[in-house]
Amino acid sequence: MCFKNLPIEFDSQGKAQLKEGVSNPYTYQVKSLHAEEDQLRTLLAKNGHIKSVDFDPVTRVAGALAFHTVADLKEGKILSANSMATLFRGYEVILKGRDPRDAIFISSRACGVCGGVHATVAAHAMEMAFDIKPPPLGIVVRNMMLALEYLYDHPLHLFLLAGPDYSQAIVEQSNPEIMEKAWRTPAPGANIHGYANMGKLMEDMNPLTGSLYLEALHMTRVAREAYVLLGAKYPHPETIVPGGVSVTITLQTFNEVYARLIKFFDYSKKAAAIWDDLTNFFYDANSRYQEVGSRPMNIIDTGVWDDPYAYDASYKNCNEWGERRWATPGVIIQGDLVTTRLQDINIGVEEFVDHSFYEQWNSHRFKTDPAGNPLSPYHAWNKETIPKPQGQNWKERYTWDTAPRWDRMSVEAGAYARLLITAMAKKLPHNRFIESTGTSLKIQLPRATKPALELEWHVPKTWNAFERNRARAYAIGYTAMVCMDNWQHGMDMLKSGETAVSTKFEIPKKGTHIGAGFWGAGRGFLTHHLVADNGVISNYQINTPSTINASPRDPFGTPGPYEQAVMNTPILEKYSGPENFKGIDVLRAIRSFDPCMPCTTHIHVDGSDRVVSREVNTCACGVD
Amino acid sequence: MTIETATKGDSITAPAGNISDESTGLTPHKEHTEQPGHQEGAQIAQFKGPLEKVYAFWLAGMSCDGCSIAVLGATAPPVEALLGGTIPGLPKVILAHPVLSVEAGKDFVAMYHKAWEGKLDAPYVIIYEGSLADETLAAATGGYWSCMGTSGIGDPYEDSVVTTAEWCKRLAPGAAASIAIGTCATWGGIPSAYGNPTGAMSMMDFLGKDYRSTLGLPVINIPGCSPVGDNFTETVATVLMFLQGMGPLPEFDELGRPAWLFKETVHRQCNRAGYYEEGTFASEYGQKECLVEIGCWGPVVQCNITSRGAINHMGGCMNTGAICIGCTMPGFPDKFAPFYSAAPGSDVSGAASRMVGSFIRPLRRITQRSQNRETRWDRNGEVPSGWGHPSEPSTSDKIAHYFYEKLQFSGSVKPGRTKPEAKYKGNYEVPGVVAGESDPSQKPTP
Repeated sequence: MCFKNLPIEFDSQGKAQLKEGVSNPYTYQVKSLHAEEDQLRTLLAKNGHIKSVDFDPVTRVAGALAFHTVADLKEGKILSANSMATLFRGYEVILKGRDPRDAIFISSRACGVCGGVHATVAAHAMEMAFDIKPPPLGIVVRNMMLALEYLYDHPLHLFLLAGPDYSQAIVEQSNPEIMEKAWRTPAPGANIHGYANMGKLMEDMNPLTGSLYLEALHMTRVAREAYVLLGAKYPHPETIVPGGVSVTITLQTFNEVYARLIKFFDYSKKAAAIWDDLTNFFYDANSRYQEVGSRPMNIIDTGVWDDPYAYDASYKNCNEWGERRWATPGVIIQGDLVTTRLQDINIGVEEFVDHSFYEQWNSHRFKTDPAGNPLSPYHAWNKETIPKPQGQNWKERYTWDTAPRWDRMSVEAGAYARLLITAMAKKLPHNRFIESTGTSLKIQLPRATKPALELEWHVPKTWNAFERNRARAYAIGYTAMVCMDNWQHGMDMLKSGETAVSTKFEIPKKGTHIGAGFWGAGRGFLTHHLVADNGVISNYQINTPSTINASPRDPFGTPGPYEQAVMNTPILEKYSGPENFKGIDVLRAIRSFDPCMPCTTHIHVDGSDRVVSREVNTCACGVD
Repeated sequence: MTIETATKGDSITAPAGNISDESTGLTPHKEHTEQPGHQEGAQIAQFKGPLEKVYAFWLAGMSCDGCSIAVLGATAPPVEALLGGTIPGLPKVILAHPVLSVEAGKDFVAMYHKAWEGKLDAPYVIIYEGSLADETLAAATGGYWSCMGTSGIGDPYEDSVVTTAEWCKRLAPGAAASIAIGTCATWGGIPSAYGNPTGAMSMMDFLGKDYRSTLGLPVINIPGCSPVGDNFTETVATVLMFLQGMGPLPEFDELGRPAWLFKETVHRQCNRAGYYEEGTFASEYGQKECLVEIGCWGPVVQCNITSRGAINHMGGCMNTGAICIGCTMPGFPDKFAPFYSAAPGSDVSGAASRMVGSFIRPLRRITQRSQNRETRWDRNGEVPSGWGHPSEPSTSDKIAHYFYEKLQFSGSVKPGRTKPEAKYKGNYEVPGVVAGESDPSQKPTP
């Protein structure tokens, strides 16, 4: 069925089991990286046009990311790429031996860019482990909080982080011919976004001075105002509790949130029109832009936004309540949706540390999950975090990140995963504003200052940097309407007097309890796996979207998503020599994944065989 | 208009500041003011007139980037106003930051190096987000915990991994001020919690108690996990206003916190403190009453989020129903764990407030019932409301109210009890003359 590489088959009832007759079903041989690395070194030594290019640091993806590539500047090709996470803080280690109640507030601090979702997913893990079911209004409030978090996150990425790469200030330097064309090209979406031609639109995307940049900064604050009315604080909300939320809900709460939410109705129309026009303009200018950041459409998502009447926190029923989410969980392999069941997603994920600064653990405590499905020793419920800082070596270990794989394949996570899987699955139970057609998502945006509009986002034929951004722009409208739908549900609950927001809970002092949270961050896929023995956390594992996207090569030699996307990126930038090479195409590829803070990307140029340019700081371009 | 920064060679352990408190006016806590020397001739900051610009270097160690995000949400002042130099009277802040660098310059790294070498044309401050790791632990096995980039950016000259802690050590001695933002940088925070493998610590712990910036200041601490963004931008603006001669001397407490922001406990400014006073407590999450019995540490935590809100005066922990977990405090998180359980001290204080509250509460309700009526309704004996039927005051209510009013207007005059007679002079009314007073020309009673 859905697994091709893991030795798992399904019986006639759809229950997973290990294939018979396979001894050591999960063992593997680590493919050596030595040959590949030695070959690159030979190439580097022989050819003047092949350079080692370091993007250093690229971003701080809830920490720090650096990128090492080898580029053939004559052919405009990237030969090799290594993604490095350069930070370790030890949250999983810190959580060990603590009261499970500490998990929410401590794990929330894993990421300050999407600092609300970790708290929620930790609460889910506890609710599963200790059988706590939140009341409907508590679930609805969590849904609204998560939606509002994305409404801050998506504009931040589109216009403050990725946006500058498509602005006049950058494009004029990297590709003057495209900028020149932009001034002559009318913008098809002028009646929605108000820009008569592409040049003006791109000029307004200039960092710190462009009005689209400033408007996005403003909109992030509008969304965060609404968020803190429910979450108290952002990042790191304070109102998530095991069994619901601790918000004191009154009509005023809902009214104040609504006053801010409606500002996103018009903004979604505008954002989608802008990114449609930008994407089509670049494709039109040079069709090879479709290759920037491209990789196979291998996508994973946990889904997000629970049905208030379906979510019961149990693992047993997670396939059912998972499919009733406003964003359907699922895995897409080579463009085909292979599953939408949370249990398949869960048991398919393994985390490898063969090229990371960790030691291998040797236990296989849980052979099956609570539903009886087989579990790999590399699964999060079995994995242990044993840090071992060591020197960087491309052939051996080069990152603090691990390599999570689903069915031993490199899959990618992102906001766009929600759109892709929800559109393809056609399982969306909530059709008030959003409709899943199998090939598209239709989003009904209400009238605000601008007239009502039906946005339709189509599953793209190719998967690349531009489509990631375009999907993220449509995700603003999608998210706004999920929030609206939940707001309406919340109002209905107030009408009917269903006002409880939390369920009392107790942490059992005896026995082993395991749980997991599956929930989407701004950047998609997020899981926490909890093992508690006698009321104490004995293992806690966090798997974030950036863990997946920034991952290094796996033991089978397959690069992680950033690495793959960069290696498939053609160099389309115009430059006269290595000293003014900016690597803008590579940066667009990396940033399209929405790594948290991409603006410190540096390319260093130094010496003859080593391109180590000084800096490309997109945020700063155009100023001074 | 220039400031000479301390030279690179200055040891961070030597007191660097020799600007007298009179000249900078920035006063650290008393214990510290005695320490900075006053020798002439050392290469120390000297201001010549108001500043036009200030450099700011943002360093992120073992952080989650949450402090950066918090600062992006600030509105008073917003970060773009500081960076754009659009606040009248304040210098432009030139920020080297992963997200918000305004100054591109050709060379981001060179800016850090220039600062390190004391070659900038204006003073600089450093802002540290996240904890500092004990890198000796990682170096023992040949690695690192946290580095700001690897080879190139870290040190183009040496081509090696440079840790963020190393950058802090390089830049702190020459900085006009070193600001720790967020609880990781101020007190170690979550990465330094029990069981951590990295030896994480705060900026203060890392630099030591003798550290002084070129202005003679120890580390300025703006705690919170995440901090309120405005607490940071406002502190920066306040210090700058002082340096420009616009504002008063900012006061910092004995732990380097801006005293005007962190002096009060969060409970004193809490919008639920009234419930505490009346002895009524929430027993479940989501209820409107005081939260101390379900895990709120507000009464002992120094923080201003209940009065300031989180973003643009919206939100705030107890304002929305969240318990205080002490995230601004040096003891966070271990001393506040396990979360969602009542602080032991609340047993004592809670019992006391229940006792007092049970006495006060009914008295207040009696008064409230009376104050909830127009005097006209009292006269007519009827409330003409179509919404409901408020009950008429009982006899005991009336008696209680009679004495209440006696007290209320003792030494004064109850409106309507006595009828002032207008006194005319010519055709003009002379106001405020109370009938029966002997001398109407005296000052009228308001």
